[in-house]
Order: sequence, then C-alpha cells, then structure tokens
Amino acid sequence: MFVVVDRALDLARAQGASSVEVYAQRATSRRIKVYEQQVEELTAARRKGIGVRVFTEGAVGYAYTSDTSDASLAETVARAIANARVSDSDEFAALPEPQGAAPQLEIYDPRLAGASDADKIEIALALERAALEHDARVKTVDTAIYADGDDEIFIANTAGVRGSYRTNECYTFAYVLAEQDGQVETGDSYSIGRDISQLEPARCGAEAAQRACDLLGARKCASMKATVVLDPFVAAAFIGVLSSALTADAVQKGRSLFATLEGSAVAGTIVNLTDDGVHRDGLASAPFDGEGTPCRRTPLIEGGVLRGFLYDTYTGRKAGRASTGNGLRPSYVGTPSPRPTNLVVEGSKTPLADIIGGVEHGVLVTNAVGVHSGANPVSGEFSIGISGRLIESGRLSTPVREVTLAGDIISMLKNITALADDARWVPSGSILTPSLVIEGMSIGGV
Amino acid sequence: MITIETIAPDLLEATLRHALAAGGDFAEVFIEDRVGLGLRLEDDKIEQTSGGHEFGVAVRLTNGEHTYYAYSDEVDEVGLADAAGAVAAAARRNASPAGVTALGNARSEPGRHPVLVPPESVEVERKAGLLRAANEAARAFGGEVAQVTVGYSEDRQRVLIANSLGELVNDDRTRLRFIVNVVTRRDGAIQTGYQSLGESRGFELLDEPRVVAVAREAAEKAIAMLGAKPAPMGTMPVVMANGFGGTLFHEACGHGLEADAIAKNASIYAGRMGELVAAAHVSAFDDGSLVNGWGSGAFDDEGVPTGKTMVIENGRLCGYLYDRLRARAAGAQPTGNGRRQSFRHVPIPRMTTTYIAPGDATADEVIAATKRGFYAKSLAGGQVEPASGNFVFGVSEGYLIENGKVTTPLRGATLIGSGIDVLKRIDMIADDFDVRSGMCGKDGQSVPVGTGQATLRIAEMTVGGTS
Repeated sequence: MFVVVDRALDLARAQGASSVEVYAQRATSRRIKVYEQQVEELTAARRKGIGVRVFTEGAVGYAYTSDTSDASLAETVARAIANARVSDSDEFAALPEPQGAAPQLEIYDPRLAGASDADKIEIALALERAALEHDARVKTVDTAIYADGDDEIFIANTAGVRGSYRTNECYTFAYVLAEQDGQVETGDSYSIGRDISQLEPARCGAEAAQRACDLLGARKCASMKATVVLDPFVAAAFIGVLSSALTADAVQKGRSLFATLEGSAVAGTIVNLTDDGVHRDGLASAPFDGEGTPCRRTPLIEGGVLRGFLYDTYTGRKAGRASTGNGLRPSYVGTPSPRPTNLVVEGSKTPLADIIGGVEHGVLVTNAVGVHSGANPVSGEFSIGISGRLIESGRLSTPVREVTLAGDIISMLKNITALADDARWVPSGSILTPSLVIEGMSIGGV
Repeated sequence: MITIETIAPDLLEATLRHALAAGGDFAEVFIEDRVGLGLRLEDDKIEQTSGGHEFGVAVRLTNGEHTYYAYSDEVDEVGLADAAGAVAAAARRNASPAGVTALGNARSEPGRHPVLVPPESVEVERKAGLLRAANEAARAFGGEVAQVTVGYSEDRQRVLIANSLGELVNDDRTRLRFIVNVVTRRDGAIQTGYQSLGESRGFELLDEPRVVAVAREAAEKAIAMLGAKPAPMGTMPVVMANGFGGTLFHEACGHGLEADAIAKNASIYAGRMGELVAAAHVSAFDDGSLVNGWGSGAFDDEGVPTGKTMVIENGRLCGYLYDRLRARAAGAQPTGNGRRQSFRHVPIPRMTTTYIAPGDATADEVIAATKRGFYAKSLAGGQVEPASGNFVFGVSEGYLIENGKVTTPLRGATLIGSGIDVLKRIDMIADDFDVRSGMCGKDGQSVPVGTGQATLRIAEMTVGGTS
C-alpha cells in the first residue's frame, strides 16, 4: 500500500499542494452468526481505501476513495485540494510533524490468519450451545456471533511522518432471551482476543444466559435514594458517554461539562481513569494514531482530580500542547479527531460480594437502556431506564425493571465510594472497568 | 474499467452461476457507486470539507435460512470472482443448486423521487453560504448562544441489483440533509437544541429562508430549555408533539414489526396478527414510496419495489415488514423493507418512513384536554428491546402541562414504557401530521428513516425526571 500512498503524495505535489497527508487502510474480516445450531449468516470481507488530507494556508480539505487506480487517485487529490478552498483558514490547522519513534506493540497474532472458517463456526456454535444449555428458562439465543478483523494501516505525509502497522482482533458476542411466566428478559456478554484460542465461548454464552435469567420475575420498585452498584457492562456505557466530554474538541467548542474543571476534583478520590493507547490487552492499542503521532498513556482523572484532556494535532496546537496521540479515524473515509483509545478505570482488591454485603439498601444495575439517548454529555444530566436486582441488608434480592436512574454525571462521579476487583474489558469502546459503587442515586419507580 | 452503467449482464450472470456452483437457492450481486460531500461549520468556521467516492460489490448466496455474504471494493472480473468464490466455498452443499435465470431488461424508475437540481451541479460556495447563513441566524439569538454547529451532507448512491431469478434493477438515490445544533449557556447551565431537514431530493430542498428557519428553531429550543426546571418523576398523561414524536412509534412498535425479530420470536408482536395491539382509533403505516421521503427509494436494497404497508388497522396488528429471505420463510410477500447501509452490509428488514395516521382533533384541543401532564416537544433519540418491548426516549425539549396549557420548560426527562401498553393508551390524535428525518441503527447498520406523527396523547406513561 505504500506504493499507492507515495503515488498519491506525488500526484498531490504535482497538483501544487505542499502540505499533504495520505492515510491508507487494507482490511479483511469475517463475521459468523449462528441460530439454532446452524450458520445463519457468514460474511467474508475485503476492504481498502485511502484518504487524502490537504492543508492550504490553514484551510483543510479531505477526500477519500475505495478505488486506488491512478485516475481515481488523481481525482481524489484534486477533490481534496478543491475542498480545502471551501474551508475557512484556521491558524492552528497544520500538517502533523514527526513525533519520534512509535512504541513496539504486540497487537498482531499471526495464528488467527491460520484459523479456518470451520474453526470459527465451531466457536459460534459452542457459544450458542452454552447459552441454550445453561438454564431451562433460556427461550432463544437472539444473537450468537463470532467476528474477527485483520487491519493494515499506512500513513505518510510531506513533513516526514511515515509508518505502518498490522493489527487483528476477534470476539464472540451473545444476546440471550430468557422467559418465565410470560415475561421476557435479556442478557448479553462478550469475549475478546487476538486469536481464537483466547476466546471463551462457553463462559460467554453461559454468562449472557445467566444475566438474562437473573432478571426474570423483575418488577418495578418504589422510588428511593439508594446506593447503586453499576456492573462493568453498565459502568462502561457511562464511561463511554462521559469520555466524549474529555476530548479537547468538546472542551474547545464549549460542548464539555469538564471544560473549566482541569485541576479540580470531579470524582471520588479513589477514581483513576486513564486513556491507554498502548495497553497490552487493549484492542484499540496501536503504535500511532490516525495522524501518525505515537500512542501513549494519558491520565484523565487521578485521585478524583481531572488531569487533562485528549488531543489530536489541531486541538493540541490550539491549546499550546502536544497531541496525546488521540487523533483517531473511524476508517479511511473519516478525518482524524480526538477520541479515546482504550479507557481504563483502575479497580481495587475488594470482591464485589464484600461490597454488596456492606450495602443496606440499594440496586445492582446489570442492564441500562438509553445511556446514549438519555444522557446528555454537554450538560451532564441523565435519566435512563435500568434493570437489575435490589440489594437489601447486604444481600441480592428481587429483580427490578422499568425503573429510572437519574442524576448528573459529575455528582455521580463524586459519589463513587468504592470499586470492585472485577475489572473486565467491554469491547464497545474498548473500556476496562470494574463495578462502580455510587451513593445516593435517585431511583424512579412507582 | 467496469462502471455501474457499463457492467455486462454476462459478467453478472457468470458471477451468479459461480456463487451457486456448490449449493444454494438464491444468489444476488449488489453493486454500489456512492459519491458524497459533507460540509461542517463550528466556531464560526467551515472546517475540514470532506467528500469522496466508494465503489464496491457484494455477492450474497442463500440456502434455506442460511446466508453467505462476501464484499469487496475491487469491482472487476477478479473481484467479482473472488466474492462469488468466497460464498460458494462457505455454502452448505446441496445436490441441485438453483439455476440462474437469464437477466431481463434492467428496471429503473427515474423520477419516482424527483431531483430537480442535482447537488453535485451546485457550486460548493453556495452550499458554504447556506451554512454561514444558518450560523448567523442562530448566533443572532445573542450572548447565551455558546456554540453553533451546522452540517450539510449530500449523498448520491447508485445501486445495481442482479439476482438468480433474472431480476435486474437500477436505483439512483440522491439524499440531502441539513442540521443545526445550538448550545446555550446561562449561569453555568448548558442546554442544546437540534433541528434538521432531510429528504431524498436535490438542492431545491434548501434555500436561505429554509435553513434560517431550521437554525432559528434549534436556537429557540436551546434558549427555551435554559429556563427549564428539572422534570418530575412519576406517571402522568404525556402529549407527544407532531413530527419528532414519531420516534415513539418507531421505537415502541416499528422495530418489533421487523420480520427478523418476528421470525425469532424475539418481538412482543410475534404471533399476534389480528390482535388488538393499540387503541381502536390507531392505524399505522410504513411507506418506502413516500415521494421524496428521506427514508424512501424506488426499490429497496434487494431490488423489490418500495410500497406502503399498513401495519396496524384500527388497533389491530395487520402487517409485518419483510425482506426477501424472511418473506420466503414466512410464506409472505416481500414488502420492500430489505435495506442495507452499504455494499458492506447484509440486507435485513428495516423501516423506511413509519407513522401513525393523523386523527381529527387539533393539537390545541389535545393540550387543552389535559389537566396536568407532560408535553414532549422533541425527542433526543430512543432505544428499545424488541423482545420485551421496553423502550426509553430522551426528551430534548419538554414542558409541563397545567390546566390545559403548556407552561414551564422541563429538562432531563426520559419517557419509559413498553410497546403495546403505550399504544393502547393513546387516547387522542390530532390532525397536524408531520414527518422528520433521522438515522436508525440496528445490527451495526445505520440507514436513513423517516418518523411521522400528528400530536397525540398517551393517557398515562412513566416520566423519569431528575426532580
């Protein structure tokens, strides 16, 4: 792909552009969905394309194409240059400069490329079986998926940035429906790795089934102020929402509730949140970001104090700081913008059971609906639908559903009083978090 | 070089035969050529204007209820052969795979959703001018306006669909969308207001007065909400405004009518055909043929003509939304709801423009008849679990109704309920029908959908507030 990248750079120079970056992607993937022990859907994919970013006196133009023929490259370069003419000039927009050596990471496991479709189908089947056999109340496994991806990234710019890497990943996902007395509840689970040998389909299927069964018999509960324990799945959904307010982009454009709080206490003193772009086990880890800037660890909250934000080159220049290596792209179709890599909330050594044992009156939340629509990352207010189990005198009791959890994000963070030892990766956003214990939350029931 | 206009029927037929070589009962080639342009204004600046071209092919093979899918962005003899080979290799074998019927004449319906001014024919500076005009209109609301984001996107998607039944379809879709998001600040409180305009139409959709109106509505919303009080928690009558309120039906009912959820018995609407699932005066439709509708096309992404499907008639469930595969399995006719985000996605049953039919009250009468309740003027989005029917919406603009009048703005409210429950409690429907554009996500695929509704009242619903 460097041949294509260099060809695009040459074409851009020939068309008179002097500050140009070319990003190229080549990927393959598999996705296998099974239903009732048959392959329901198998998708084999190949994807490639390039994106060209041109800087003309501070104005940025971008163009992309999936067609890497010479004619298409020339047209794409011309589009990028034309688009730069429409954009307004911005003194902080500039081509990223080389920022030193990128870290060496083990983010590619060559064994995965040797796995056959038959092996992968067997994993998906085992996942579904584990869920079906886990409990007689499992009604159906709505979704049982094995999926993997193998991505190669190439980047070069006229300032001398040049790099490439290859990464892969695979995962299983199960979404299970359980039924009892006409009531249906749902549960899900994941397992992740870089080779199929690291996946745990049996555990994943059984856990999804258990999470659904745990909610059977759920009813509304009375409205109350109570201690809430968010399990890692629900905690990760919240962290995903709040992380968008921790990007420099949101801060500089007045869209972040954290905008003026750098250096202030924003969370309970036990809370440590880090963006870790080089975490050994993080599926979002990479040697460099979508602008070629090396990835790194960036503390966001330390001891409850807000330490900083996530920057790409542009927002870094605007703030007079270096990029934190968070200029990420969704694919070659998109331009870089500050986004989290892997988000890590440090756990503790306290078992979840001990924490629950100390709660007089509360709710263990295992399912949340509407975190993305019911939480406002600008104002920080949220009101979402939850289900889970009541905690009474230190014990899990009746399941509850159709109740709401409401508050604002900063009060919630400040009221985090304990963390459990059950930290795990939740792949939607690549977030590693334990269960979070929060005091004094408003629960809306009947 | 192959283009979507010049690809030879022989090559398509050969690809279909190759896919069906070892097994299968249906094969399809989907080719997509897509050109897009996006402009975005924020902080008073037009930033990172971006556009591009994607050209790709997907080959799909089915065998009973099994689907094999391969896609590639190499649209040439080699790319087509690789994709066909990949599905043939993965497919379950059977002794006599389906044959390939010779492709008939290509069908297309130019003019079903008229495009008078192709967006690509318009100078990009004019588009930039609309962004600036909208920005100024929103900024004119004064110092409380902290940020204005304006987005413009145009998308021309041409698709070719050829299948082993001998069908060959071309569809040419142009979509245009304009959005404004305003952030306001007062004494540390932050609020947002959003408004959009989106249709399957050319540049004639937009002119300065129209984009200025969109910007003003977004700004008015964001300013009104600055004075908002925390919403109460509890059960009360809820009046849903027209337009955006249609998200209610989309979430509470629409997803549960999609035939994949029905086939897996993962919907509360499964097995209830003919039963009362809504109040007796409620009728509802999905209409992919709505002229110039944001969620419309002449054909769906399987080459089936779009149409208007009645799903609820006077409260009784009377229709599901099918793609080809689920229709075949259920012995039903496809309804033109087989949609995909792009060639990189397997078609699945999706809504197009879904709505509850209007009634004959006026919106004022509906509000006047409500002693105390919640008025949901615009919704921020919602989520549903089709299996349980439980849904949640965020309310981005809400008000208290007191003694038949809309009074205090309320913030931070969500509406929580369960599909059939809520539909059965609709007790008033007004006549001010309107449709809004949105993007709907399902199974990792995002497609344009319209949601429509007149102002209506739900006699009792759970409002989750923060107060």
